[in-house]
Amino acid sequence: MLSGLLKRFTGQKKKSKEEAKKRLQFSLIYDKLEVNDTTLIDLQNDIVDVISKYFEIDREGLELKVKRDDNVSALVFNTPILHVRRKQA
Amino acid sequence: MEGKIIVVTSGKGGVGKTTATSSIGAALALEGNRVAIVDMDIGLRNLDVVMGLENRIVFNIVDVVLERCKIEQATIRDRRIDNLFLIPASQSDNKDVLTTAGVERVAKELRKQFDYVIMDSPAGIERGFENSIVSANEALVVCTPDVSAVRDADRVIGILYSRSLTPKLIVNRIEPARVRRGEMLSHEDVVEVLAIELAGLVPMDDKVLISSNTGTPLVLQNDSKAGQAFRRIARRLNGEENVPIVVPTDKTNMWSKISRTFGLK
Repeated sequence: MLSGLLKRFTGQKKKSKEEAKKRLQFSLIYDKLEVNDTTLIDLQNDIVDVISKYFEIDREGLELKVKRDDNVSALVFNTPILHVRRKQA
Repeated sequence: MEGKIIVVTSGKGGVGKTTATSSIGAALALEGNRVAIVDMDIGLRNLDVVMGLENRIVFNIVDVVLERCKIEQATIRDRRIDNLFLIPASQSDNKDVLTTAGVERVAKELRKQFDYVIMDSPAGIERGFENSIVSANEALVVCTPDVSAVRDADRVIGILYSRSLTPKLIVNRIEPARVRRGEMLSHEDVVEVLAIELAGLVPMDDKVLISSNTGTPLVLQNDSKAGQAFRRIARRLNGEENVPIVVPTDKTNMWSKISRTFGLK
């Protein structure tokens, strides 16, 4: 009762709908970034093909993942480069 | 001229899709259109009881699509509202019994016979949903102001866009007092989160349950706020300009003032 009055006077009452809105905005963004495995594998193969034109890479040691932070999402592709391919004249 | 097929969908169940479909269909008929409402929720039919037509079912949409009867045989005429018809769902068939091609063929025929064909989609995003949207020219997404309904609406909106449909949103069961207290998402919040155009706002209304109890059309009740909101939605869909989207308010006198201004009471 007293704390209720206090809250009313200080205007500290937290609005649950604000939290609902924030949580929705985040989850909708994440929902859209959800990529299924086949898409990821296809993407990885395509990236490897392109990079292989210029570098010789270690196909075993590479890694592709979707990294998510509070504010940003990124596609991270890690690969050890064995050596640069010489361009054929 | 060919009629329009409008699909009413939501993703989540229990947000008032069936009420919205029957009310908008009835309201479009009151505006002078020939309207067919089609229950696409195969195996879980409900539109017939909500509309009070459950005792008159002989054939259903599955019979029509599988060519076991003609469209006219499965069409039930509403006796209270002129030019309003229902094609009920089947209660016994498996929900995957219909093919997209079959539904498309029937939809094409329905467009020739009616000004508006309103498809009540089942909840979910499976086959039944796909069948409901395949022939649609327009789409309405119904959601309530809560996190699960909004999230599901977003998913459905995404799928509709991928089929070249630009859906409009109906926010249903708005409780103005709770919105004012910050306990409920406002329609502005929902629209901002979903980034979608509004078709209309419908307040929480005890009369909805009562009218479904008796199977009487909500839109015929002039004292039903929800019924009147659906009538305005139908008038806008029907191409009428200057029909305002009224934001539900809990100030009763204010509401009656607005209603009186537009000659509804």
